[in-house]
Amino acid sequence: SLEVPFPSSHEATIALRSLSPDREPRKGGISKVITVSGSTLSRWSADEARILRVSVNSFLDHLSLVMETMDMFGPPVAM
Amino acid sequence: MTVVIGFEGSANKIGIGIIRDGEVLSNPRRTYITPPGQGFMPSDTARHHRAVILTVLKEALEQAGLKPADIDCVAYTKGPGMGAPLVTVALVARTVAQLWRKPLLGVNHCIGHIEMGRLITKANNPTVLYVSGGNTQVIAYSERRYRIFGETIDIAVGNCLDRFARVIKISNDPSPGYNIEQMAKKGSQYVELPYTVKGMDVSFSGILSYIEETLFSMLVEITERAMAHCGSQEVLIVGGVGCNLRLQEMMGVMCKERGAKLFATDERFCIDNGAMIAQAGWEMFRSGQVTELEDSWITQRYRTDEVEVTWRD
Repeated sequence: SLEVPFPSSHEATIALRSLSPDREPRKGGISKVITVSGSTLSRWSADEARILRVSVNSFLDHLSLVMETMDMFGPPVAM
Repeated sequence: MTVVIGFEGSANKIGIGIIRDGEVLSNPRRTYITPPGQGFMPSDTARHHRAVILTVLKEALEQAGLKPADIDCVAYTKGPGMGAPLVTVALVARTVAQLWRKPLLGVNHCIGHIEMGRLITKANNPTVLYVSGGNTQVIAYSERRYRIFGETIDIAVGNCLDRFARVIKISNDPSPGYNIEQMAKKGSQYVELPYTVKGMDVSFSGILSYIEETLFSMLVEITERAMAHCGSQEVLIVGGVGCNLRLQEMMGVMCKERGAKLFATDERFCIDNGAMIAQAGWEMFRSGQVTELEDSWITQRYRTDEVEVTWRD
């Protein structure tokens, strides 16, 4: 599992909602759960270490893009 | 007044464009160009897009002279296209939509091309030939759907031209198709090769070795057949291969013979760009469509006729 801190739970939720819609490219052998509680928590389970590594790498790439976007175009607009 | 920003990155071009009520305010774009003899792979393409997308987004806003608050809707390419690049672009679109509290719209890439073609050329209800590296379709609008009348049964015509360019190691800068066209202009010998039209459809994989004449004649034939079926007097060519002047010339000859009008756009808009996604998004948004974040997943397969065209009668 992987825990990622965010400045606020609102920003963690933005990250969650950006990262969750797309399905894992590989149908079988991997399951991933992302949840938010103050910060962002991700939990994986996979049948093979190789599949796990690919999925985690991908996730970290995507996460860093989302965070860079939030840095450059944030902070979130107030209600 | 409605302002829409569109994000496009389904193949090797990454573009972000802003449209306000039919006016293109900005449309910056970058192309991932591979060395001669090499095509572009999904993960490398995604990496290219990821490296430049935020810069291009800044450019789009600056060139339009707008702030995020001025935007009404964020449109992005839902599909079809290559998975990894589609995801890269969708991530940024979803994030800014949430940061700026704007509604999100997933757009079909092919419909983006069609709506841009309609906007720029003002064609009324044309038979559309959509030709690019990834797609080859003849499309006619009917009762809220862009119906696919005919298509390639194997590879897209642009893919065929690109692969040919790879074999003979033509430069991919600015695009393989453009360089084939320049070389073809100097050609004088026509070589007879397999011509594969099957009713409304075409096949390109058997004829990878050459000249535009045969490929384009096939496309003109199926477009003419669709026009005859629909009683249409207008042709609109969209997609990157649509830049090709020889294709436009050959289509023009057929149109003249039928007393029909030919419409096409220049390389700013026939090659993949962000503004075309913004334009399709503008039409969809104004007719009441919105994409919820949970439904904003991208998809590599997305047929043009899957979309309900709520903005036309």
